[in-house]
Formats: sequence, C-alpha cells, structure tokens
Amino acid sequence: MNAPASLDMAAIPERIQSEVQRAIQRSIKGVEYIASSGPSLGSTPKDILQVRGTMNLYHYRPIADEIYRVPILIVMATTNRGYILDMVPGQSFIEFLLKRGYDVYMLDWTAPKPEERSLRMEDYVLDFIPDCVRRVQRDSGETDVSVIGYCFGGVLSLLYASIFPDGPMKNLICFTTPVDFREMKLFHNFSDRRYFDVDRLIDSVGNVPPEMILSSFEMLRPASRAASQVQLWENIWNDEYVKSYRMFDRWATDTLPLAGEYFRTITKDLMWDNKLFNDTMSVGGRKADISKITVPILHAVAEHDHIVPYDAAKPLIQKIGSADKEEVMLKGGHVSLVAGANAIKRLWPKLDLWLSERSI
Amino acid sequence: MADKTNDPAAIWQNMMGEMEKGFNAFANQAMASPEFSKLVNQVGGVSAGAQKQLGELMEKYLVTMNLPSRAQMVSMAERLQSIEGQLNEIKALLHQAHSGTSDNHPVATKPPRTKRPPSTGGEQK
Repeated sequence: MNAPASLDMAAIPERIQSEVQRAIQRSIKGVEYIASSGPSLGSTPKDILQVRGTMNLYHYRPIADEIYRVPILIVMATTNRGYILDMVPGQSFIEFLLKRGYDVYMLDWTAPKPEERSLRMEDYVLDFIPDCVRRVQRDSGETDVSVIGYCFGGVLSLLYASIFPDGPMKNLICFTTPVDFREMKLFHNFSDRRYFDVDRLIDSVGNVPPEMILSSFEMLRPASRAASQVQLWENIWNDEYVKSYRMFDRWATDTLPLAGEYFRTITKDLMWDNKLFNDTMSVGGRKADISKITVPILHAVAEHDHIVPYDAAKPLIQKIGSADKEEVMLKGGHVSLVAGANAIKRLWPKLDLWLSERSI
Repeated sequence: MADKTNDPAAIWQNMMGEMEKGFNAFANQAMASPEFSKLVNQVGGVSAGAQKQLGELMEKYLVTMNLPSRAQMVSMAERLQSIEGQLNEIKALLHQAHSGTSDNHPVATKPPRTKRPPSTGGEQK
C-alpha cells in the first residue's frame, strides 16, 4: 500500500480538468459512435476468381513491382470472415504481404445456405481447397503454392496436405491450429458426448446458427464482453481506440453458421474421437495422417490463446513429418496474434522472414 | 507524470481488469464440470426442438397471411447474389476492354515473379 503522503497534490487540479474534458468528449463521441457506421473493412483491391456456394476465392491485386515466384493461398477459418486479415490500410495483413512482394489469394467463406447443410468435411478438404489450388495455379501460372491456414482453416489445410503429400503445396503456415482437441477443454466439455446430442441438433436446425457459435466463443470468457464495453466507454474520447474496437467487435460478432454435416463430423471425429491427434482421421475414405506431410511448415501460436490453448496446438510440430519445421510462440491472444498492433510488430515480420526464403 | 498507484482512473482500470480475470477464471472452472455440460445441453436441446417447431408454425402462418417465407426470401437473395455476380463479371470485362483500348490505362500486366528475399541480396522495398 502507498502512503497518502505520496499523493501529488499539485497534479490534482490538472487531473480533474483532464477528466472533465474526457467526460465532455465521451458525451460528444458517444453520440457520434451511435450515429456512424464504423470503418470500412476488407477494402484492399481484389478480384473474385470463383464463387461457389459458401466458397469464395479472391485474388488481391499485386502492388509490388516484382513478386515472389510462389503464390500464397490463405485458407480462412470456416466460422469467421476473412477480413480479419484485411482490416484497414496500415493494419492489413494482406496489404503487408502485397507490399512485401507476395502474390496473395484467399479462400474465404460466406454463410452456407440452408440447402448447403449437407456439405461434408470431404467437400471442404477434397473439393473446395483442391479447386482453389488449381485455380491459383492456373491464374498465377505456377505449379507450387504456399498455403496459410488460420485456426480451423489450418486444420483444413493440414487435412488437405496430409491427403495430398506429393504436392502441389510448397510451404504450409498454420496460425494457432488445434490438433489435440481434448485440450480444448471447455469446447470439449460443452460437446460432451453424454449430454450433447449433435444428431438431434443438426436434424433440427440444419446449419448450426451463428448465434450458437458466437455464444460458445463468448462463454470461454463470459465477463469479457461487459468489460470491453466499460473500457469502450472510458476510451470513447480516443478515436484510435474506438476505431480499433469497432473493427474487432464487428469482426468478432460477424460469425458464420456452420454447415450441418460438416459440424457433425467436427464434433464426432475431432471433438469426441480426437482422430487427428490419434492418427485415425480419414476424409471421404482417404486417410489423413499428418506425419505424411513433408513440406516446410511454420506454426505460429499465441501465448494467451483462450480459444486454441497451447496444449491443443503443441502436437502439430511434434507429429508432422517435415524436416524443415518451426513453431513460434508469440505474445498475444487468438486474434491479436494475426491482426492489430501486436501482429504488425511480431507475427508479420516473422512470417515474412520465414516465407520469403521459401518462396523463390 | 501522475503516479499510477494514486491515479483513481488507473486504480479503477486495474480493478476492472482484475475483476474480469477473476470472474472469467471462476466461470471457466464452473463450466468445466460435467453438470454444466448436462444443464447447457438440456437447455440447448429443448431450445433447438422449440426453434424447429416454431419455424414450421411460422411458415404456415406466413402462407396464410400471404407473406413471403424465409425460404422464399433466401431464394430471392440468391437470385440477387447471382445478378450481382454477373454484374461484377460484366464490370470486369468492361474494365479489361477499356484498359486495353485507352492510352491512359495500359493493359494491366502482372509483375515478374523474380523477387529474391533480402537474405539472398534481394532488395526489400
């Protein structure tokens, strides 16, 4: 405890003045906040190469005079929108890659329609990803393709790489990708097979509603939403804070539904039977053994990831067959690992350093 | 610079942070129990069943009221999406045609794939 004697009496009027000014600013900016629509996200110029139901393939227009030989295909997580990697200029991972001379494509998802409830894991791994890889090859004129998978996009990329170990994947980069699903303890408990009737759920609702996905994410940190709103009010005078809050809040709440059959497989094969970790996973009758993957791989994990805890992600590098493999643990959480001020100074330069040497 | 230990705003923020962490940790502990899973899934199961029944009832009601159902709206949205897609294609074609004929907009060429990493002597721009 500090003694009251250490109180700086001279600073008190200045402090009161500053707080009064902030209170006035809060009222003005609070009204502005409600009336305005927030920053425009995902605006890096791109061309849509293919739209097929829930699947969207974009090509971002190169901005460097000279680019690396090997193009990159980013595989986004199926629960969220890809614009987390393309927030606003100066805070866009895509823009960073383009400026550094990469040719960037993204496999992004839109909400599956009710009739897409029957999409299965094999549609994602044996159809959507190979189709996008082929289109990237055709568009770029290159045979080799580097793949970056974020979160469950990383799981899909791992499954794809393990089923097609002979190429054309040149490099694999996974961001915070789970392999041991038992270690996702709360998700594992929510989907406890004794109480969670996944068949009944899918047969009732078709596609898993986005509200359910969002609430299961929010349940991992139940106090954080209320606390973040208090913090917003405290900092509403600060334009940069508000801009950042709006970007991340919009993205976090813009959750996608999941195709019913696909979710059924995730629950049964990954959550219940932990097949990826146990080396018993197969997709459409084809064995998906990650020890068969031999391409260079970088796995970036976050020190304070509450969605994919480190213990769930750790076995990836241990199990993978590649000789050239590296895991890098960086400060931050599941989202701040890839986007925002933290990512700009930590993950992005690390990725560039690793990938540039392997993209020629 | 104000002393953080005596700054009421800093104390408040610190207290909020600690409360958030404490509540999250407490809730996580409670949510890790099988009883929680049982309760949540009982409630979730009931609500999924109710949602299905309500959906069917609503569908009948909308037909009676001569209003479009969700399925019809989704189908209309799909049509709009398809029209938007075709417009985008037309725009892209027009853009290509325009940039191919105008002197102000030379044909867009892809940059050469010759970049080398800085570690091998390549230039980092």
